[in-house]
Amino acid sequence: MRKHVFGTIVLLMGLYATPAAAQLGPVNGDAEAGAQLYYDHGCYACHGFSGYGRKDLNNTGSPWLTNEEIFRAFLRARADVAPLLPSTDMPNYPANSLSDAMVRDIYAYVRSMPDNRPETADVPALRNILEAAEQRQYKP
Amino acid sequence: MSKDQSDHSRDDITPKIAPKVDRRSFLKGAATGAAALAVNPGAQAQEPSAYQASFTAPSYQQLQRDTGMVAPPTSGRTVVRPGSDLMVQALKDMGIEFVASNNGSSFEGIQESIANYGSPPNHMPEYITALHEESSVDMANGYAKAEGRPMAAMLHGTLGIQHASMSIFQAYHTGTPMILIVGRDESFIQAHTADDMAAMCRSFTKWDAQPKTLPECIDALHEAYRQAVTPPTGPTVIVIDMELQKEEARDFVVPPFRPAEIGGVDHATARDIAKALFDASNPRLNTGMFRTPEGGQAAVQLAELIGASTSTTATGGPMGFPQRHPLCGPGADTTNDYVLGLETDSPNISLQRPAVTSLTAKRDVMGIGFGSLREDYVPSPPGSEPTPQEQNQKQSQGTVLTVDAEASIPLIIAELSKLMTPAKLREIDERKASHARANREAFLTDLRAAVEEKKRGWDLSPVSTARIYAELWPLIMNGDWCLASPSNFSGAHHRELWEHNKPYSFLGSQGAGGMGYGLGASAGAALAARGRGRFVVNIQCDGDFNYAPGALWTACHHELPMLSIMHNNRAWHQEFMFIQYLAGVRGRGTDRGHIGTVLRDPFIDYSKIAQGYGMASEGPIEDPTLLAAALKRGVESVKNGKPYLIDVLTQPR
Repeated sequence: MRKHVFGTIVLLMGLYATPAAAQLGPVNGDAEAGAQLYYDHGCYACHGFSGYGRKDLNNTGSPWLTNEEIFRAFLRARADVAPLLPSTDMPNYPANSLSDAMVRDIYAYVRSMPDNRPETADVPALRNILEAAEQRQYKP
Repeated sequence: MSKDQSDHSRDDITPKIAPKVDRRSFLKGAATGAAALAVNPGAQAQEPSAYQASFTAPSYQQLQRDTGMVAPPTSGRTVVRPGSDLMVQALKDMGIEFVASNNGSSFEGIQESIANYGSPPNHMPEYITALHEESSVDMANGYAKAEGRPMAAMLHGTLGIQHASMSIFQAYHTGTPMILIVGRDESFIQAHTADDMAAMCRSFTKWDAQPKTLPECIDALHEAYRQAVTPPTGPTVIVIDMELQKEEARDFVVPPFRPAEIGGVDHATARDIAKALFDASNPRLNTGMFRTPEGGQAAVQLAELIGASTSTTATGGPMGFPQRHPLCGPGADTTNDYVLGLETDSPNISLQRPAVTSLTAKRDVMGIGFGSLREDYVPSPPGSEPTPQEQNQKQSQGTVLTVDAEASIPLIIAELSKLMTPAKLREIDERKASHARANREAFLTDLRAAVEEKKRGWDLSPVSTARIYAELWPLIMNGDWCLASPSNFSGAHHRELWEHNKPYSFLGSQGAGGMGYGLGASAGAALAARGRGRFVVNIQCDGDFNYAPGALWTACHHELPMLSIMHNNRAWHQEFMFIQYLAGVRGRGTDRGHIGTVLRDPFIDYSKIAQGYGMASEGPIEDPTLLAAALKRGVESVKNGKPYLIDVLTQPR
């Protein structure tokens, strides 16, 4: 099963090459519904409420976000990976948990996430941190 | 000055207007009524009662006792110098600043002596009121991590030990020195006593004693201190009987305290190490966590004397080499021909103080306690090929001498100083200057990259954990601060954004990963900070908070300089992720991972909890643009002697 899923992913990746070079696939789901599913199925625990967390989703260039098919295959890829130790790795999302339609909605939501990263010059605290570090002399 | 040290006169505490009915008045009233009945039995005849026949009129003595108007029963002896005064004198002699405790009858003698013995009383040590024994010991843990020396906690018999046991276990795990005084009173409540009281925590304390005489008790207190601070450091226990606390000491004099003697390398080894450092064209110091602040200072002296680039663990825990020291960093040339390890590994030679063997790999796993604690990885079975991890570890580790680095450095410095020549000093000066330039650039390069990284989700709500650390740093960077809480669950962003130059800049993790530690440890660090012009930051996880929130009251009561900022993600997120993963691989639905892992329905209002304990607070703050102003208010409040809590709704991690 696992071999089969990864084989599918590899095949799909071959078709679409890397995301930097590839055209991102179309979005067919409902982003609003996807936001609720993103919350209900605990995606936020690792990816943050808005796509920033232990693993970012916002405009990261992740190959798993190239299109809906690859995204879906990635969600279903760990069906037989059940380590004995507790894991905070990416969980498996089988079809009886997230249907293909639900996956499409989550994909739409993820693709809608903005890249929220201000210019350092516009953020007083960050500017202050950099300037102070450059000026400060070590004192015991 | 804390509230317990205020000089209240009797008039201050006597209400000017009698309260309507307080407990004492109520009891007095009841007793007076009963006495009237006893004197005039006819009075009750007018209102017969079904229970009347079972009443027995109280005696005069009973009335006095029950109304609180009676002196303690006179014993057969007159106590002029209670033994507990001498115990407190021993604590004074050892420099114990604080004794944290949730009061208990089994140590009332010592508690009374702390309150009343000495001039001024309740000073060195000062009694710190804790609302839970777990908090008492966490306070001792935070204090010792910040100061590199122990304070004491008092525990009430079997109950106190059990309440405190998790905190003691964590202190053992981090090797934190502390003195735990356990009261024992075998004639009071049987469930609170035991013949061998320390047995309950012996597997995770270093040393214990249950003295039988007053001189033995003073000796044991001294030895408890020496054992606690001598490597391998850790908590020690002394069980003190009530009889000893209350007995007349007569003319017994507390003997002078003899500090622990902690040896370093022998002279020949010191000479060899000095020669190797001297001969190297590019020596390096790898430094870990020293025992006390003096260890870090000695390491700085050695690095400056030989011009060695130096590593640090200051971003991961206390007592490290100062992070922004010009020699701290990779240096101008990372090809080092001799590396001296000081409390950490080295490819050549390292000096590492002894650790409890059962905390290392290849330990005994057969029992609970010290022998059974496990490392992160499972070693290969005997006879099998070493794992890549073990292989790497072996390759990176040269000779390890089990000896205290802090005590050894002065000997190495002395030998090294003898070798110096003007030519060598010129060479070292040039090396220092080039290391300083390279280290400064390396630090700034890393900082610029970190700032870019921390901008992710800057303006989003809930607030990113990175923004908390980034907004707070400019407000405290020019002060004397201490980050006392563990930071692993809140992103540990200080490691990349802040500068850790003091031995107490960051106090590290819980030890054994046990929850409920942050608030108590921060209060302990704040005890160390109070009076030293220092400022304690506690980035407080919500899950951790709820185990022992009463430390907030202690912080208020003792006016501790502690700013608590809630990392309120309304869940135990690690466990949430565990369940989420397991549900996914079992294929039985991934939308119920929240069951048992989230703190919602209802949400907890930490600001209100803080206010309930008497602490100034605000929040919950959901809008990130409101954060900086709130932090500023918090910092100002703490600088004015008032602890403060800010509840911030945060991203999960």
